[in-house]
Amino acid sequence: MMSDFATKVVRNVDLGRGSFLIEFEDPGLGAAMRPAQFFMIGAPGGDVLLRRPFSVCGLPGTFDDATPGTLQVLYRVYGRATSLLASLGPGASLQVLGPLGRGFEAPPAGSDVLLVAGGIGSAPFPAFLRELARERRPASMIYGARTAAELPLLDWFKEHASRVAVTTEDGSAGTKGRVTLPLAEALAAPRPRPLHLYACGPNPMLKAVARLAVDAGVKCDLSLEAPMACGFGVCLGCVVPVKDGATGESRFERVCVEGPVLPASRMAW
Amino acid sequence: MVTPDLAVEVGTVRLKNPVLTASGTFGYGLEFQPFLDLNALGGLVTKGLSPRPRKGNPPERIVETPAGMLNAIGLQNVGVDAFVREKLPKLRAFDTAIVANVFGETEAEYLEVCEKLDAAPGVAAIELNLSCPNTECGGMIFGNDAASLGAITRACRRATKLPLWVKLSPNVTDIRETARAAEAEGADAVTLVNTFVGMAVDVERRRPVLANVSGGLSGPAIRPLAVWMTWQVRRAVAIPIVGMGGIMTARDALEFLIAGATAVQTGTVNFVTPGSAVTVARDLASWLAAHGVASVREIVGTLDAGRAS
Repeated sequence: MMSDFATKVVRNVDLGRGSFLIEFEDPGLGAAMRPAQFFMIGAPGGDVLLRRPFSVCGLPGTFDDATPGTLQVLYRVYGRATSLLASLGPGASLQVLGPLGRGFEAPPAGSDVLLVAGGIGSAPFPAFLRELARERRPASMIYGARTAAELPLLDWFKEHASRVAVTTEDGSAGTKGRVTLPLAEALAAPRPRPLHLYACGPNPMLKAVARLAVDAGVKCDLSLEAPMACGFGVCLGCVVPVKDGATGESRFERVCVEGPVLPASRMAW
Repeated sequence: MVTPDLAVEVGTVRLKNPVLTASGTFGYGLEFQPFLDLNALGGLVTKGLSPRPRKGNPPERIVETPAGMLNAIGLQNVGVDAFVREKLPKLRAFDTAIVANVFGETEAEYLEVCEKLDAAPGVAAIELNLSCPNTECGGMIFGNDAASLGAITRACRRATKLPLWVKLSPNVTDIRETARAAEAEGADAVTLVNTFVGMAVDVERRRPVLANVSGGLSGPAIRPLAVWMTWQVRRAVAIPIVGMGGIMTARDALEFLIAGATAVQTGTVNFVTPGSAVTVARDLASWLAAHGVASVREIVGTLDAGRAS
């Protein structure tokens, strides 16, 4: 059940190179939350007006070294709101609205799972990977960014995904290039079982991933990001164009309510 | 301590307290039930209603700016028929004033929506949106000069018996002129202000941040501008004013009330803290009690401007 609650920072772990994993007290929402659902988070007292949307990264049981009774959010310092967040220490107040949106659904039985992450877009995948592991569903991963500095939690993913293919645009880690390189290879390989993709990252990456997946006839769920003022469906700021299922015509849906997870086949970018 | 009386009358519309929620920031009201008791609101103003559903502008639609935000939603809405059929029956169950915000691309469209709402039970008042900056024909052409605003107010006045509030644009040379035109043509109240036209530039791409190029600025950044316009209009017309612009707290609301607004609307704050309209009303009562004021009506228009008055 969505609620607007005050909570406290427990830890704000500097992962280096501008990425942080913030832990805050869970008022009991974690157990019912889906990976890729999100929170609107604000820090009272700063000069930031609107809260910002953040995927839940760690649910109960995701990170072995997490403080019990907390939830974790992964973020990269990008602007005023994330700088403010990075300045908070244990005991600092947060105002949190959530859980919001529709998260990842479990992959169809008998399918192979491939996760595609771009930079900080890896945020929803730790909770999802642990859930898949509990269901004995191995998942491999393609993890790309512009540069090695923008691959937070890479070691964690190497430990918890069955395989991680790394790409960077500058070649500072993994294969030089974009995630579409190994993805195209994976989609071209023979498939004894159906493949199900889950992707999260910047919009240009998601567009490219969606195109490859649709062309290959592979099911793909995208976790989208958009500027949003409210997070619960009223500001209409976060819409994306999608094809209407019945008529095929393009219309707008809200990333915060109908998303953030939408099937690649429905996008009308 | 005596509980202060928060009830106000905006023309013939009686409100249990002077805090309403502004059009475009409160959906159709029902979306806020997880966060507040709709019965505790003085009233709510719906998303702008057009004759037919509207898709709205392409993204990007919003961006935060210093102490505010720009939006260019483009009046996306379900249309008046769906509102009357699906939303209004649920809203009627609440003990609060339902104000329907109306806009059209032509005078005929304004009249069509007014007539449909006139026939629908449960609407306390109509607020004419003559000032949306984000569509080519979404009201601004009617709201930018006193003559066209007066003409459409006169036409709508004939199309409905419901109390008629006219929402004024701040993007004019002298807001007193449009306020006077609204009053002369039969408006029961003026609501002010709508958003200020603005633009943000993505410096790296050298493009506007918003797909619509310009957007409407709201939030605390505009509050002093809106308070000033409230005070200007208070001295220009006799009909009630519903004031708005960056109200986040009861103290902010009091600025508008003291400057001459009979009631206020909260807007952008509904995105930030969805339960805040009720908090503003509650804190307003506390302020009045702490200051020994028996009724909020005693506060309205009490600005002491010294020699300037």
